[in-house]
Amino acid sequence: MVENPFDPVTLSKIASMELRARLVVDGVLSGIHKSPYKGSSIEFLEHKEYSPGNEIKHIDWKVHARTDKYYIKEFEEETNLKCYIFLDTSGSMEYKSTGISKFEYAATLAASLAYLLLKQSDMVGLISFSDRVFQYIPPRSRVTHLHILLNTLAELKPAGKSNIGVILNEFIEKISRRSLIIIISDFFDDINKVIKQVKYFQFKKNEVILFQILDPYELSFPFETITYFESMEDDRRILADPKSIKDRYLSGINRFLEQFKQACFENQIDYCLIDSSTPLDQTLIRFLARRESNL
Amino acid sequence: MISFLNPILLFGILGAIIPIIIHLINKKKAVSHRFAAIDFILQTNKRISVKFKLRQLILLILRAFLLAFLAMALARPFVKNFIGGAPQKDVPTSNVIILDDSYSMQYSDNHESFFMSAKTAAKEIVNNLTKNDDAAVITCSGLGSQVLPELDYDKKNLLNLLEQAQPSFATTHITPALDAAVEVLTSAKASIKRIFLLTDLTRNGWDIDWFKSGNEKLRKHVSSIHIIDLSEGGELKNIAITQIEPQINVSEKTAESTIKVTVSNFTPARIKNLLAQVFLDQKKVAQGFFNIDANASETKEFYFSVEKGKGHTGWVEVSEDSLDTDNKRYFAMNTSNKLDALLIDGDPKTNIYESETFYLEKALNPGREHASSIKPTICSIHEVKNFDFANFDMVFLCNVETLPPEKIHELDKFAKEGGSVIFSLGNKVDANYYNNSFNTLLPHRLHTTRTFSSDSPLSEEQPLHLKTTEPTHPALRILSETSMSTLYSVKFYRVFYVDPAPLGNCKTILSFSDDTPALIERQVDRGRCVLFTSSIDRDWTDMPVKSFFLPLIQQLCRFLTGNIAEEIQRETLVMHEWQSPSPEDINSLEITNPEGTKAVLHPQLINNEKSFSYNETNLPGIYAVTVDGKPHPQFPQKFSVNVNATESNLDKINQKELTALMGGTNLTITTSPVTEGSEVLMGEAKKTLWGTLLFLILCILFAESFVSRK
Repeated sequence: MVENPFDPVTLSKIASMELRARLVVDGVLSGIHKSPYKGSSIEFLEHKEYSPGNEIKHIDWKVHARTDKYYIKEFEEETNLKCYIFLDTSGSMEYKSTGISKFEYAATLAASLAYLLLKQSDMVGLISFSDRVFQYIPPRSRVTHLHILLNTLAELKPAGKSNIGVILNEFIEKISRRSLIIIISDFFDDINKVIKQVKYFQFKKNEVILFQILDPYELSFPFETITYFESMEDDRRILADPKSIKDRYLSGINRFLEQFKQACFENQIDYCLIDSSTPLDQTLIRFLARRESNL
Repeated sequence: MISFLNPILLFGILGAIIPIIIHLINKKKAVSHRFAAIDFILQTNKRISVKFKLRQLILLILRAFLLAFLAMALARPFVKNFIGGAPQKDVPTSNVIILDDSYSMQYSDNHESFFMSAKTAAKEIVNNLTKNDDAAVITCSGLGSQVLPELDYDKKNLLNLLEQAQPSFATTHITPALDAAVEVLTSAKASIKRIFLLTDLTRNGWDIDWFKSGNEKLRKHVSSIHIIDLSEGGELKNIAITQIEPQINVSEKTAESTIKVTVSNFTPARIKNLLAQVFLDQKKVAQGFFNIDANASETKEFYFSVEKGKGHTGWVEVSEDSLDTDNKRYFAMNTSNKLDALLIDGDPKTNIYESETFYLEKALNPGREHASSIKPTICSIHEVKNFDFANFDMVFLCNVETLPPEKIHELDKFAKEGGSVIFSLGNKVDANYYNNSFNTLLPHRLHTTRTFSSDSPLSEEQPLHLKTTEPTHPALRILSETSMSTLYSVKFYRVFYVDPAPLGNCKTILSFSDDTPALIERQVDRGRCVLFTSSIDRDWTDMPVKSFFLPLIQQLCRFLTGNIAEEIQRETLVMHEWQSPSPEDINSLEITNPEGTKAVLHPQLINNEKSFSYNETNLPGIYAVTVDGKPHPQFPQKFSVNVNATESNLDKINQKELTALMGGTNLTITTSPVTEGSEVLMGEAKKTLWGTLLFLILCILFAESFVSRK
């Protein structure tokens, strides 16, 4: 049986983050021929002597009139989009039941998004955080910026507690208006604080997309035997009989997710719940579809 | 106070720590799992965790208790002196142990007999009594025979008596024993009065009618009745000889005997080729095989020869089975010598049917030759001189007109030396001649004849009938009730009246309906004379054609010649009385039982007749009868005593019937052997708890299942 190249497990076998991103994005884009992101203006950069193969429409005829030589104009494309990808690297993101961890999934998603956006000449920045900011890479649109982002993503290791609200608060002043803010996390946090900060971003005309990555085990709680459950962010430890608490657990987490989803809906925040076993191309397609519908 | 029958099993309570150990091991073995959404577990587990821990604790406790209770139940706890739910110490009890000692209790199916088991159980009951408890022991074979009919506190004495108790050969009589037990307990002072009935529950011992009134007594005076079925509820199978009927046919030298043997099969299966053997005088004389259907009987005849003039004893036996007692049945027979009777016919006719002696001869020797032990010889008055009276045992003078003087003298001598003379009268008889010639022999002087010619009920001269003056006279003893009733229907058209005053030691055996003597006996030195005051043929009466005529004549002959003892002794059953009429001259009789124990009997007046009565027929077998150490012709040399065959049918009364019979009484029926701690021993004094514990265990199992599933 041929493996699905976008399957998280398959992707996890590819060591290079760049390759993962390319595989996902190129695959997705080969099916979608129209990019929803277009630069709104172009800025002249320099003249360059014409060589065969260049497009004739770029020949600067005025210069030709003056110099009788063919020069073509080179422009620097200017984008109107800055994207900030907030990637949660707290300890809880390290959880993995089968396949890949939530963090691996989130990092690959972040890489794919960065690749996609940079490919469209948008500026992409990266903030990795837990209860503090680990890495902040300001948004750039250069092609070389992609390597920086991907290398950074590849080196990240999840640790520490998450505190999304505080981190977002730190960046409210730093982020310019009309940016795209993508937050990838499990959002095991105080959702009211998160929503509150997100609303600040929205107030500044920023567009916010929340990717909530959860492990299938976190969604289904399929444990059978009596288990010591240990926290991944601190020293908490509890002995529980999964069978006896399953219903209450599922009802608790579903209530949490519903509340989160409802809050996002009420505040017109793009929210996307992703099971970490979902193939990445689907996630990306869902993202692009949402973007297209929003534009 | 709780005690335990198997206290060693209490170590099993340590098993209660097994769930604790398992719990601890499981706790250690719990898998660790790093989980991101632990907050949700913590949120849900705040309440659940407490519940979970509580549930775990409850399960732990339940499982620990389960094992502990199981161990306790196996140790069989009981509470001593537990009455009405409240333990009371030293509550005195009065107990009557009814020991079924009937012969069916000798049933043994490759183990000890029921009786031995009953003894063991009775001892166990006595051993369980406290010093404040008293007990009596009653056996229930025979009527009211008791080992210790009074309550006794001395356990040693009770145990000794039980040790000495032996099974009897009698039948079961449960209800008289219950009566006796109630009587004992009525006077008891203890508040708890118990009856322990140790029996095989065979049906024949239960008198259903007794319970109509007896049940009330049981309810009123007895706290509880414990019936212990020694057969342990099992079906009992038995094969028994239920009847034997020996018969003798005497010939000139030997006697040919037949014996009818009835064997009953009290089993649910057909038996094949069951060997039955007949022993006579310790030697096997016949044998045969029986094939009997289930719950059926079969009768066969066996033939053998016996020597004449001797008493013989023997027995019939079949192969062994679980109950041997009824596999053997004894018999005794006396083959007496042939009696010679001279019949002097005073009115011979050419037509023999009209002869005076025709009916008499037929009565003395009916049917074919030698069928009877009496050999009649007939002669006329003219021929009488040719016969020597001394060669005969008895002489009949039938309507004899006269005898030669020398013959009269010879007759007188004959009678005095022990011979028997029988006078029957008729139209040839002259009263004066008789009164003069036979005054030493006649019981009464002859008077006149009287004729009752009319047969009309309106006539004043109705024919006379017979009536018995001495119904128990030996000469009449063999007559059945039917024969006796026929006796009253005989018609006499002419009779001789006699002087009221007897001529010697006389006894009137039969009278006419007008109270005049009909048959009179006179003792003449060593001999006897009998006068019949009517004719012996049909001239004056229809008596010769009546059915009782033959046995009466034969019995009269035996009586007169001293051979009154019956040829075939009717069997006597164990515990039944043996009786024999007492002749005037015999004042004591010795009976020797099969074990050789002698008993001397003296005559008693029974129904206005002197008789010997013997009640100690406890053993089946042959009993010898002697007078002064020797057999006497007036008594059978030997008689047999056999077990009552009704006890052989081991059909059991079932528990439902018993419960119905004893409705309202505190009745327990147990089929399990009585051992220390048996429920039957606990009774009111000890209350067992294992039933409660088992119920608790069930409840715990249910609760455990419920809690663990939740």
